[in-house]
Amino acid sequence: MIEVKNISQSYVKGGHVKTLDDVSLTVREKTVTALVGANGAGKSTLLGAMSNVVQTMSGQVLLDGVDVRKIKTSEVAKKIAFLKQIQQISIRITVNDLVEFGRFPHCGGRLKDIDKQKVNEALDYMMIGDLRDRFLDQLSGGQRQRAFIAMILAQDTPYIFLDEPLNNLDIKYSVEMMKIVKKLVTELDKTIVVVLHDINFASAYAGHIVAMKDGKILSEGYPDKMITKEVLNPTFDHDFHIIDHDGKRVCLFFDHNQ
Amino acid sequence: MAESVNRKQLNRRMIIVFVVLAVLMVGSITLYIFSRTYFNAWRLNIPMTPLAFERIMGRTIPAVVGMVSASVIIALVSLSFQTITQSRILTPSMIGFDSVFIGTQTLLVFAFGTFTPFFQSPIYNFFVTSGAMVAISLLMFGSILRRSKNNIIFLLMFGLVLSGIVSNGARYIQALMSHYDFYQVQAATAVTVMNMNTDVIRVAVPIIIIVVVLLLINHRTYDVMSLGAEQATSLGVNYQRQMTYTLILVSIGMSVSTAMIGSLTFLGLLVVNAARELIKTHRHLPLFICSAAVGIITLVLGSAAEQLLSGGIPIPFIGTTLQVAIPLTTIINLVGCTYVFYLILKENRI
Repeated sequence: MIEVKNISQSYVKGGHVKTLDDVSLTVREKTVTALVGANGAGKSTLLGAMSNVVQTMSGQVLLDGVDVRKIKTSEVAKKIAFLKQIQQISIRITVNDLVEFGRFPHCGGRLKDIDKQKVNEALDYMMIGDLRDRFLDQLSGGQRQRAFIAMILAQDTPYIFLDEPLNNLDIKYSVEMMKIVKKLVTELDKTIVVVLHDINFASAYAGHIVAMKDGKILSEGYPDKMITKEVLNPTFDHDFHIIDHDGKRVCLFFDHNQ
Repeated sequence: MAESVNRKQLNRRMIIVFVVLAVLMVGSITLYIFSRTYFNAWRLNIPMTPLAFERIMGRTIPAVVGMVSASVIIALVSLSFQTITQSRILTPSMIGFDSVFIGTQTLLVFAFGTFTPFFQSPIYNFFVTSGAMVAISLLMFGSILRRSKNNIIFLLMFGLVLSGIVSNGARYIQALMSHYDFYQVQAATAVTVMNMNTDVIRVAVPIIIIVVVLLLINHRTYDVMSLGAEQATSLGVNYQRQMTYTLILVSIGMSVSTAMIGSLTFLGLLVVNAARELIKTHRHLPLFICSAAVGIITLVLGSAAEQLLSGGIPIPFIGTTLQVAIPLTTIINLVGCTYVFYLILKENRI
């Protein structure tokens, strides 16, 4: 169980900017939770703080009731996997080597049979077993995305936090990515928190939506409660139009009649 | 599959590179010993007696040990420094480590005089100097790297300003000194590969071995760290602590090698990138070994060449000799400098 208790974070840039302002949140287990909000709302910072990757000024993040800062980094890494928006990493590395990094918290880089087995399982689950000896820069965007998710899977953690996983992905791969995310919850019982920019992806794939603005959580709840004008308009400072489509709600960002 | 062939080829390439490097290493050490013994005797037209050989070897072996250990430590600290700063172009000496060395020596003599054990005894001197370097580097890198993660431009600027202040300050203090003190400081700081401080070797080698071991046992952690700070943290690396740990080792390594063979600004950069090109891997263990081997070959072979050429090159039929005297340090810096330009232009970033 992960509980965020009153965390605040600010950084100095020109003035004193608060990116998180007394945020509290309990992560819903075995669900996809989507963090949505405008740029600078503090979504990524909150996710980073929850993964103990970003240090906070005050408050605490409890992992199974214990403050994560009091747990060894390597132990946290056995529970929480955090993936920054799929970046171009500076080193030239094969898919296999990348996925093997996922076992680092468990074996310190000395892979035993169990670790190799987990790596193979992760590669097979993401259907990239045949790409294992390719270098990342030889892959398409979608394949690279799968390779990074395979690394996270090899890490074998109950919690997976993804920071803007759809960045730089075209529509086809974005949908594929969100399907994978959902499958991880339904098939592997993972608890996933994901930062999303597109509300419609959140509406379609998340089981829980957290709306943030100016470092605060404005509201949270099930998608059908969240994808409403009352919630979204103040969150994004924008006038949305919401329609029903096959039981899921879809946001329209603009209205042709106006 | 084509890709797995690709990987096997890389592994085979790595083995070939290591064999070639090992041969070159032995060859260059042999050549260096030859250049200082038989070649010198031949040039000066005196017979090489076993007694003379033994005597010369008594001076040659410490020199080889010094060069080998200095190259190893420079290669290792440069690679780990590049990993923690996430840059292929930075080396510790480029951000003013060696000027701190000169500054500390100057201040020591100025404050306590040349007869203080802090300056005279290589052991005390070493501990004071490297202590100062560790403190300063932790202060500046710690605060910079902690606040603006991997802001290389800021780091370079800071290093530039720091080395400017320190070396100018040192020069000012040197101007205030007596002649005797000044020459003492010069003697202590003007060490080069050819003019090695052999007193320091006995202290330096054990320390270098310790630092090398401490860096090597962490090679898997460095592999993970090359994914970047956040990803490494998420994979269970205590990045902050690992960075502090590495900076301490880098400072110690830099202060030993600077005290022993002086400042070789571009050697680390050169050997680490040569190793990356040679074995094309991200793994730190082979990279550490390969860059150390390249460093040894560069220094020892360069010194051998310098020895062999020091009498001039006889030009056949004309009956005259071409006088060449190019200090090895200059060549390394020239090549290294060109290589930095090349890297900056190629990668289009620093």
